[in-house]
Amino acid sequence: MRRPDGHELSLGSADEHDTPAEVDAAFRTLRRVAVGHIAVFTGVIIAVPLLTAALDWWSQGRLFGGMSPMFAMTACGLYAFFFVICLAAATLSNAVEERMLGGPAREAPQDEEGTLPP
Amino acid sequence: MTSIVLLVVLLVAVGSVAVLIRPQRASTFEFYLAGRRVGVVTNACAICGDYFSAASFLGVAAAVYASGLDGMWYATGFAAGFVPVLLFIAAPLRRFGEFSIPDFLGRRLESHSVRLTSVAIVQLIILAYLVPQAVASGIIWELFIGRGIGGLSAYATGVLVSTVVIMLMVALGGMRGTTWTQAVQFLLLLAIFVWLAILVLVSGFSYTDELRELSARPLANPVEAGDSWRLEPVTNRLHPGDPAYFGEPGGQYSQLGQFALILSLALGTAGLPHIMNRYFTSPTGTAARMTTVWVVGLAGLFYILAVLLGTAARAVIRDVAADLPWVAELTTGGILRVPEYALLVLGQIFGGRAGLGLIAVGALVAVLSTIAGLLLASAASWGHDIYERYINPRATQRQALWAGRAAVAVVAVVSAAFALGVRPESLTGLFPSIVATMVTWAFVLAGSALTPVFILAIWWRRTTGPGAVAGMITGAVVAVGMSVTGLLLGDSGYGQVLLTPTVVSAPCAAAVTAAVSLATRPPADLDGIWLRMHGTAADRRAVRLARLTVAGFARRGERR
Repeated sequence: MRRPDGHELSLGSADEHDTPAEVDAAFRTLRRVAVGHIAVFTGVIIAVPLLTAALDWWSQGRLFGGMSPMFAMTACGLYAFFFVICLAAATLSNAVEERMLGGPAREAPQDEEGTLPP
Repeated sequence: MTSIVLLVVLLVAVGSVAVLIRPQRASTFEFYLAGRRVGVVTNACAICGDYFSAASFLGVAAAVYASGLDGMWYATGFAAGFVPVLLFIAAPLRRFGEFSIPDFLGRRLESHSVRLTSVAIVQLIILAYLVPQAVASGIIWELFIGRGIGGLSAYATGVLVSTVVIMLMVALGGMRGTTWTQAVQFLLLLAIFVWLAILVLVSGFSYTDELRELSARPLANPVEAGDSWRLEPVTNRLHPGDPAYFGEPGGQYSQLGQFALILSLALGTAGLPHIMNRYFTSPTGTAARMTTVWVVGLAGLFYILAVLLGTAARAVIRDVAADLPWVAELTTGGILRVPEYALLVLGQIFGGRAGLGLIAVGALVAVLSTIAGLLLASAASWGHDIYERYINPRATQRQALWAGRAAVAVVAVVSAAFALGVRPESLTGLFPSIVATMVTWAFVLAGSALTPVFILAIWWRRTTGPGAVAGMITGAVVAVGMSVTGLLLGDSGYGQVLLTPTVVSAPCAAAVTAAVSLATRPPADLDGIWLRMHGTAADRRAVRLARLTVAGFARRGERR
């Protein structure tokens, strides 16, 4: 909840909090997730044009009609790859945060509607 | 006449949506951030509306039309830019909160000099992005309406009408009104692409067969030779002795040039103020992350269609040029002399004058929605970071709001003045290439000066204010210096790298930031900053509050 000037308001006893140790551990895990995914992303982005020099088939071969593997990758495949890598990274990052952060409050008993006891 | 009717309908619709959805409460939180309640899909569509300017709408298809496979690197770089945004920036940026990039960097690094330096760089980026959009609106009006109002030229009328409409829309609608109009505008752009692609495919166009035919002969484009035009083979930049082909690389860029362009566009996206400011409107960091996934999906769909239409234009226009006199007038040997007209001609071939009008309106929509986002980002920077922080720190919400509106008006007038100072007759043939070129400069500046500092500030605890200032200045100076040298040398050899220098300037900025940071003292409350930026307590609080609100509404409904 926020005041009109944009600053957070407290929810009193129902307030959530993280500890510095929890956040640091989650941060390090998320950094590994991000670096791993950016390495794959960079590798593919570099490989698509670079394969031209290494493999004639990549730019001159034909997959469907007159479409070379490189054309198919650049016109369509790269966008599918961007989407898949983003979806995978987002899903993994969300799961990491859900498991590593918000311990005590998450364990608190809740009724069927998700409300906390008074 | 069709164009005028479509244009009037568009301007009225845009204005109405913005006014109807304007913020009901007078506060800067509502005006700049839409109350931080913009949903994932809505925000993704609004980001796409913000992001796809005329350079994307007409420029990508034109680049593919002229250069074949090498024309696709622009689209690849534009779409790739959101991957680093998702991995490194979206969620922590939103969780830290604030109103703008300078606000975020200033508070994270607890430094006034960081805030002021980033305001200066943000304004440069916005100006580099805004002026070509204003120029584009004038050129589109001149090309498709062709008449001025009140004694003004058609070009000046286009610049002024679009500036005034968007200025009023942003000033009245704030972030909430702008978000909804941008989302609707993006859906309109996508619908136009889908409509044209369906017409092309239904007419019997076979993507793979036409590609085989286009790639069977060397790529050749019209060049002006004295008073006449002739087809000239395109130089192969990868193998200078061999001809270039439509379906193969080398028609436009060398290997190094391809990397340099993709890297400049991919890193630049993360430093674009009008795009990054949208992440502050998400309700949670997780929502900001998922918004980016949607943006990548929608951008992919948009660019796949743009590439298909660019290829179709090359094949279809060549086939009909001999039969249609109006197409023959625009072509030499069946190839358009101005590739930027590719989609417009395709629209008229399949949809008649209404089709042409629809594509022209789409181009104007792309320009207007980008101008709206840029004006709002500039207003947040001037109004919040300068007026509220330094000029009148005790400003009431009402005063701060009016400062934001005044900033919108001033920036709009300045960009219109720059656009009116440009001689459009020398640019018409280059549109939207000139837009794409100037937009690339904005990407280069953003990717060189802001993105490295942004990523280090979020992921490296030791980053300091003096380090960030030194890094931003280094990135900006190296980028501008190399770009100017590239302009003087042209795009041959290393000129392509000089014109898209992020591959050099971003590492320089990162190295200087790290070196100076190691020699200076980081902010005192690092644990607090890390809790706020990388913790999810505020996210969980927002989700719980939303659930409580929904449960409360449900109970009230049951009692009734």
